Amino acid sequence: MASVSSALIAHTTNLDLVIRHVLAGLGQGIHAGRERGSGVEFSEYRAYAPGDEWRRVDWKLLARADRYYVREAERDSHVALWLVLDASASMMEPSRSIPGLDKLAYARTLLACVAAIAQRQGDAFGLVVLSGGRVQFTPAARGPRQLQRVLARLNAARAEGELPDAAALKSGLRFAGAPSLVFAASDFLDFPSPLSEALLRLRHMRHDVRLACIQTEAECTGGFDADPAYRDPEREGGVFRFGADLREGYLRNREAHFATVTAACRAADVPLVDARIEQAPGDVLRMWLRQAGRR
Amino acid sequence: MNSLWWLALPTLLLPIWWHRKKRVQVAAEPMATARFLPRTEPRQMRVWRWADVILMILRCLLLACLIAWLANPVLPWRGNTVVVAEGTDARWAEQQVQAAGFKDAARLSLPAARALAWVRSHEREWKPDARLLVLGDIPMPATPPQFRHALDLRTLAKPSVPGEVHVAVAGERAGEWRRMFAALNGPLRAVVEEAPGAKTELIVWDQLEAPPASMRAPLWWVADASAFPELAKAPTVDGIRYADSARGRLWTSDAWPPSDPAAARRLLETWRSLHYAPLPYTAPSQSFAASPTPAAMHADGALRGFLMWALVALFALERMVTHARRR
Repeated sequence: MASVSSALIAHTTNLDLVIRHVLAGLGQGIHAGRERGSGVEFSEYRAYAPGDEWRRVDWKLLARADRYYVREAERDSHVALWLVLDASASMMEPSRSIPGLDKLAYARTLLACVAAIAQRQGDAFGLVVLSGGRVQFTPAARGPRQLQRVLARLNAARAEGELPDAAALKSGLRFAGAPSLVFAASDFLDFPSPLSEALLRLRHMRHDVRLACIQTEAECTGGFDADPAYRDPEREGGVFRFGADLREGYLRNREAHFATVTAACRAADVPLVDARIEQAPGDVLRMWLRQAGRR
Repeated sequence: MNSLWWLALPTLLLPIWWHRKKRVQVAAEPMATARFLPRTEPRQMRVWRWADVILMILRCLLLACLIAWLANPVLPWRGNTVVVAEGTDARWAEQQVQAAGFKDAARLSLPAARALAWVRSHEREWKPDARLLVLGDIPMPATPPQFRHALDLRTLAKPSVPGEVHVAVAGERAGEWRRMFAALNGPLRAVVEEAPGAKTELIVWDQLEAPPASMRAPLWWVADASAFPELAKAPTVDGIRYADSARGRLWTSDAWPPSDPAAARRLLETWRSLHYAPLPYTAPSQSFAASPTPAAMHADGALRGFLMWALVALFALERMVTHARRR
């Protein structure tokens, strides 16, 4: 299977195109959704009414009864799908090896693919974008229009500012009491943070929460240039230097931080996928969804 | 001594140093995981970039001008020159110029008495291979002069015109005095008058009564000192008592008017030598070869005035541009 490289994300801003390429290598039915799509589970017949799709007319019954009957499918999708995108300034971090690719674009692509799969399976899905201290909320709905709306929102997201505080998140994540799936893509550099607490709280409320930790290759291996000075995009003041002498300390600090993240996720039974943006998005997506399916 | 000021030229580096932008902070790139790194001091780079080039040039020029003004440079700009003393016969001078081959040389008119000294002190203004021709009634210097350039001195003694001295004689023995003054020869001639006037330089007072208070002259010869109380205790030199009074200087002697020619000549000689400068002696025509004498130190640079104006103009410009830049 030829997986789409993440360079494609850097080359186009057309999310539709990227989704098509990524999902082409992924195959169908990977999502073990609890709900059925339209026409899968038979419910009842009803008399044909003008405007009904012809493909839903039961032709065998027509031959027998000489009347048009339409198969009504059971549509009781109880599971809504929530996509949470962290668009704080730290998500602007570019890949140091693939020009034009950054963490936000990668996270956006992953979430768009999840949204596209949900749409194909007839699930309702909504979007929450956390950017500049605010929560941008798109209510859950079904259908291709919703997909276009969500893709447009994802495209419009800009990495800026910090994550919203606990109060904003509490009012922003207004999920129904019904069980839902939450796909959250963030770099989890702030941990514990209002976002992580909100996600873990959702987990405690028996929602199915899946996290993707978006990182770059350079961040994981300490492969930064020693020449330029660096600054933290989310914290004021201070200049940082990187060099061979500081690399070990950097890796140790980073490892300690993500050890707490992983431990917290494991304790709350939340699957966490480590995604490096230089990896093919198809592989990461499969891992993300498969982990979900295993449970 | 002045030329040591040129050593101050490195001060021109100061405005150049001030006008370059020194520190530019290295631009910092965003790095999301910077929090895992220790904080460091911001690095700064020195970048050689000019600020206000016009102002810098003005300031450099101002400094250079000031140093040049202090160093008082003398540019050798004069070529072959004919120095003609003032009052020299123009036709004779022209002949001498033709004869010496200075037809295209520049002319310079100077007072005769100071001509050689002036040339000596301004010698740095002449180019090394320049020749000079000095014409006129040049007085003979006390010591043989030396010049760094070949100098040809051609002199023409002017016919001496005897100077006139107005003398007033009052008294019964005026005839004797007149005869004595008539015998005066040489560069001075005495014009004897009855009453003293404005030009009178000597009053001979040979009578008993005192002269009117308003009568004044630089010198009085008094035959009878009884009318002049200042002379009562006056010192005596060579038989003549002298004193200063409100009317002028007083001379007196008991042996006046002089009775013999020798005494009369001595009195006249004393008078002339004490009150009138000797006439200069015209130097003989001669040529001075160039000699490697050091240049006179006190030569005043002709550039000094120009430099001063340039300094003032540059200062005004510099102030204006600085002011405009602050706006």
